[in-house]
Amino acid sequence: MSGHRIAAITRRLLQQFRRDRRTLALLFVAPIVILGLLGYLMRGSASAPAVGVANEDQGQLGAMVAAALTRSSVITTTTIQASDGDSKLKDGSLAAYIVFPPDFSQQAQAGAIAPEVHLEGSQPGTTAPVLQALQQALISLAAQGPVHVQPHVTYLYGGPGFDTLDYFGAAFIGVVVFFLVFVVTIVSFLNERSQGTLERLMASPLRRGEIVLGYMLGFTVLALVQSAEVLVFSLAVLKVHNAGNVALIFGIEALMAIAAVNLGIFLSMFARTEFQAVQFIPLVVVPQILLSGILFPVATEPRPLQVVSDVLPLTYAVNGMRDVMVKGADLTWSSLQLEVGVVLGFVVLIVLAAVATLRRRIA
Amino acid sequence: MATQMADAWAVDVQNVSKSFDEIKALDGVTLRVKRGEIYGLLGPNGAGKTTLIRLIVGLLESRAGTVTVLEQRMPNVPVLRQIGYMTQQAALYPGLSVEENVQFFAAINGAEEGVKEALELVELYERRSSVVATLSGGMRQRCSLACALVHKPQLLLLDEPTVGVDPQLRVQFWESFRRMAAAGTTIIVSSHVMDEAERCQRLGLIQYGKVLAEGTPREIRTLGGSQNLEEAFLALAGQKAS
Repeated sequence: MSGHRIAAITRRLLQQFRRDRRTLALLFVAPIVILGLLGYLMRGSASAPAVGVANEDQGQLGAMVAAALTRSSVITTTTIQASDGDSKLKDGSLAAYIVFPPDFSQQAQAGAIAPEVHLEGSQPGTTAPVLQALQQALISLAAQGPVHVQPHVTYLYGGPGFDTLDYFGAAFIGVVVFFLVFVVTIVSFLNERSQGTLERLMASPLRRGEIVLGYMLGFTVLALVQSAEVLVFSLAVLKVHNAGNVALIFGIEALMAIAAVNLGIFLSMFARTEFQAVQFIPLVVVPQILLSGILFPVATEPRPLQVVSDVLPLTYAVNGMRDVMVKGADLTWSSLQLEVGVVLGFVVLIVLAAVATLRRRIA
Repeated sequence: MATQMADAWAVDVQNVSKSFDEIKALDGVTLRVKRGEIYGLLGPNGAGKTTLIRLIVGLLESRAGTVTVLEQRMPNVPVLRQIGYMTQQAALYPGLSVEENVQFFAAINGAEEGVKEALELVELYERRSSVVATLSGGMRQRCSLACALVHKPQLLLLDEPTVGVDPQLRVQFWESFRRMAAAGTTIIVSSHVMDEAERCQRLGLIQYGKVLAEGTPREIRTLGGSQNLEEAFLALAGQKAS
């Protein structure tokens, strides 16, 4: 191992990127665009589903529930005629409408009320808020009776202001870095192969480990700058909830970036062209993103998929990021020790794999 | 006798065979190149020239036989410090300048001090700041040559170095090869251009992965029974085939 030769490779990579504006944009502009979009989507004044309310009740109860629905923050209500409801669902102007039948108040006295809920139904995401609003409205009604319903809510993690962006943001900070660094590495390393310079490197006194290490250092420099940028943007601009140590988050991010670099080098051995490398994205990256618990919590996955999730390193990285940012975990937590340990182990394994495959594919 | 002569050979290839799946690229090749000599590997496309060069550099391992370079059995990493290899296509970093390319190959060989001299030799010193992607094919070829010789190797392997190089520059290339050989550098050049073969001190004719004949251009002409090297080559190829 010669530090001089490793430094030569690292220096050369950075020289190449200095002139490569497109790749620099991919590394430093793309994550801001992706996270910015995500933040805007999840937090930018999301319009609550439009719900029509048709109160035909001859008693007083229907009006009271309707008034409670109007106050709900998860839906927006308009008053409609029950007969117009279906056409409004069809033309898309309403996501649902609720009808309080003429005998609604009478039903209440009989002990069983049945408000009619008509749902558009094609978008599952809008169904839950409608039902939630109706339940809250009915509970608030009950609260006006002899029993006072006032749940006392405490949060172990997060808080009343904790929202979807806080949950997804923690994972996405790491995943965006992982994905972009992976793409740039695999394509650069393939370039080295297709432009013939790798053959030259192999015919020089460079050792394989020096090539992999030089690459790793060069991309790690870029990846660390990117990680820092993403982190600052997420915390300062998007104001993603963070209960943990910023240095620790950066550390996990950096580990993910180093893993991505070496995964890129390793997988580039199995592709001959840049096009083939891009084919790895749906095969290798997308399943990991689906199964790592970023979008769907691993605990709610079907059993066989949980087994797969449990062996994916990205699952541990994502959990680690969430543990630190959402729960304020530090390295004394055994869960975080496991997560960081697994990611670290994966990094070591993939570095060794990258060095080993480099040998085989040259001959 | 063999041990006595060992020092004289820069490259000693003994009975080497190499196959890629079904295809026999090299079939029992034996040849020797003296130190300080310009040796021409001649043969049509697909004859096995590049495979032989890759075996000499240690990029490939032979199935049978031995390759000895500067008294080291190949593959051997330390001896690569003494070898300069110019690949068939100008393998360069297109996004870097001429000087950055040469500097990089100098650095991995620990020979940064040779950059200016190498650039001057290929007459690219004035263009050293140009980005390689903007250069003409001939200039890239020159830059590629500079990268191969920047560390002053004892053995220079050039895989069709003059492809795409204009006649004027080709003359200059050969002039510098001759100078380097005179200074003690061993040069192996592959080519399928016969007028270049005349400039080599010795030739190896390769076809279908076999050495058809070896010798000085004059000896080859005699063997092939023609005053014209090209006709001699064709005659020798015909003899073997029949």
